[in-house]
Amino acid sequence: MRRLSGRFRSALIIGLQGIRARKMRTLLSMVSLFLGVLAVVVVQAGASIADKALLSDIELASAVDGTTIIGMPMEPKATDIVLDTVDGRTDAVAMLGLTAMIGEPNVTPVNPGAAPFDEDWGGGVVCYGTGPCEPADTLPKGQAVEVRLTAMTGDVRPFRPLRPRTGQWLEFGTVPAMAPRLVVNREAAKGFERYKVPAEMRIGGATANITPQFVGVVDDGDIQPRAYVRLDELATWLPSAGVADPNSGGEMQVLVAPGSPVEQVLTTKLKAIGSETWVQTVDTKKEMESQLKLLRLVFLAMASLVLLIGVAGILNVGLATVGERVEEFALRRAVGTPRMLLAGIVLAETLLTGLFTAAVAIGLSAAGLRAVSVLFGDSEPFLKDLQFPWEAGIAGIIAGLVAGILGGFIPALRAAGIPIATVMRA
Amino acid sequence: MTALIELTGITKVLKGQQQPRTILDGVDLTVQAGESVAIVGRSGSGKSTLLSVLGLFDRADEGSYLLAGQDISRLPERRAAKLRSSHFGFVFQRFFLLKHLTAAQNVSMALVNGQGWLPRRERRARVLQALEQVGIAHLAKNRPARMSGGEQQRVAIARALVRDPMVLLADEPTGALDTETGTAVIDALLAATERGCGLVLVTHDRDHAARMGRTLDLVDGVLTQRVTA
Ligand SMILES: Nc1ncnc2c1ncn2[C@@H]1O[C@H](COP(=O)(O)OP(=O)(O)OP(=O)(O)O)[C@@H](O)[C@H]1O
Ligand SMILES: [Mg+2]
Repeated sequence: MRRLSGRFRSALIIGLQGIRARKMRTLLSMVSLFLGVLAVVVVQAGASIADKALLSDIELASAVDGTTIIGMPMEPKATDIVLDTVDGRTDAVAMLGLTAMIGEPNVTPVNPGAAPFDEDWGGGVVCYGTGPCEPADTLPKGQAVEVRLTAMTGDVRPFRPLRPRTGQWLEFGTVPAMAPRLVVNREAAKGFERYKVPAEMRIGGATANITPQFVGVVDDGDIQPRAYVRLDELATWLPSAGVADPNSGGEMQVLVAPGSPVEQVLTTKLKAIGSETWVQTVDTKKEMESQLKLLRLVFLAMASLVLLIGVAGILNVGLATVGERVEEFALRRAVGTPRMLLAGIVLAETLLTGLFTAAVAIGLSAAGLRAVSVLFGDSEPFLKDLQFPWEAGIAGIIAGLVAGILGGFIPALRAAGIPIATVMRA
Repeated sequence: MTALIELTGITKVLKGQQQPRTILDGVDLTVQAGESVAIVGRSGSGKSTLLSVLGLFDRADEGSYLLAGQDISRLPERRAAKLRSSHFGFVFQRFFLLKHLTAAQNVSMALVNGQGWLPRRERRARVLQALEQVGIAHLAKNRPARMSGGEQQRVAIARALVRDPMVLLADEPTGALDTETGTAVIDALLAATERGCGLVLVTHDRDHAARMGRTLDLVDGVLTQRVTA
């Protein structure tokens, strides 16, 4: 054990001496390896980031794999059947989509049609507390924000893992509050921050203006401003006919956990009243995952090819230097350096070179990622807060080590085989 | 008392493309501790070959080799490397210093070779001591390019001495030096024999040979005692 650690240290010391003595050679080896290692790191990092971004966005925007989504138009009868069926269940949740105006009354909102705040979708409709809606353009612009409003019969998060940002998520176990509690998505939060609108909400069909309480912000992957609310808290303000009014731009979705009878029951009941339904089971993630895996493999294969060319380079440089260092190796053997250690020294040099290259490649990729994140983070939200994935770091180190071993192995064998007697004769 | 080195019937045959050639032909040689032996002979007579057998660089085809009574004629390479490190010191006509290392690093190379690990402090002390023995401790930080031939050869001698070897093997160590520097180098080698080290010196220089305890003549692979007049 002590002898081993002594040899290990010797190999490192001598290897480092060799690297320092031949900086140019080391630099050339690093240059030849660099692109390959960089390619591996970038592919791995890109794939990891894409994986995470895409997969979680898919989950966020549609639903967790296995969930069945039943969609239907919001008609009074259908609404009653749906609410009746999912009432008190945890394996299904109904979501009613409405449009709400928050802010000053009788104005065109800053984002007609609940458009994202940095885009202009034009048009839109504004509805009054008393019922009728008008094209928004006829009204003067004012301090109001239009949002999509999702009213839920239960907690949607087991089906769609919305990410809390600040504040709280809705509580479904408590007694409904008179002032409906709202959780808004990030786009809506942005709007409220930008336009200081009064906290007054109008919904098509509502009996009066509602004063909501804002309790939190979530990330839901939606580009439109949206607010989430407990249906029972909203219902106080809406006659059920109002909830079901198709004129208010409504849509309805039921998310059903795998294996739940709700799907069967609901589709049968809705068919009986002649209502149209769309049923879809989510399996995008699995599909995406296998596609991404394939893509990653293809890219990694290409990166490995580049790496292999780098290995050829390091091998070339390594063999040339062994030739040039015949005397040194013979001398080292003469003073008692075992062949194994000699091979170890050569390997240590290429391994260290590989590791240095990996360190540079990883450092550059991480810095590049940071730069991209800072430069484009504002326009592309998924680029914001990008972390350098540790998988990419590991992949880079492995690539560097493998390249070092591949490129150093043959030179190491050559070095170990140098005969002392022929070199040292005078 | 057992001899330090005892060679009996050492034969080395070179098997080339043509007919096998006998380079060493039944060499007998005994060296006692503290003794110095000069080996002279025509170029190509096999002197360097004999030294490389002595120093375990190469193996004889026949004959036996006892080192302090131990038979080492058929050692596996791993143990041979160990012995080279612990028992032998080598000096060559070309100095074989590593250009990228300082004098001190060149000397400590013989210590940092995987054969037993010395702590840094102890390594440094021994390197300095060896450099002092050959009188060039002040050049410890210099690289070979900035040293004269004589100084470089003394670094090589310090490298040979740093492990306190039992046997010093020198192959024409003064071949590349002028007379005066050569004499100083021989002085340094002889000083080691006073501490009980055996010295085998291959040389073309009669004066240097004369300073050794005895002189042997190698003629076509056969070693004979030179009868000094
Ligand atoms: N590897 C080898 N290949 C071919 N011939 C060799 C080899 N090694 C030694 N010889 C031959 O063996 C003979 C002895 O060589 P050696 O180097 O021992 O001579 P030497 O006495 O040291 O000569 P010099 O005084 O010139 O150094 C020479 O004829 C040489 O050509
Ligand atoms: Mg010779």
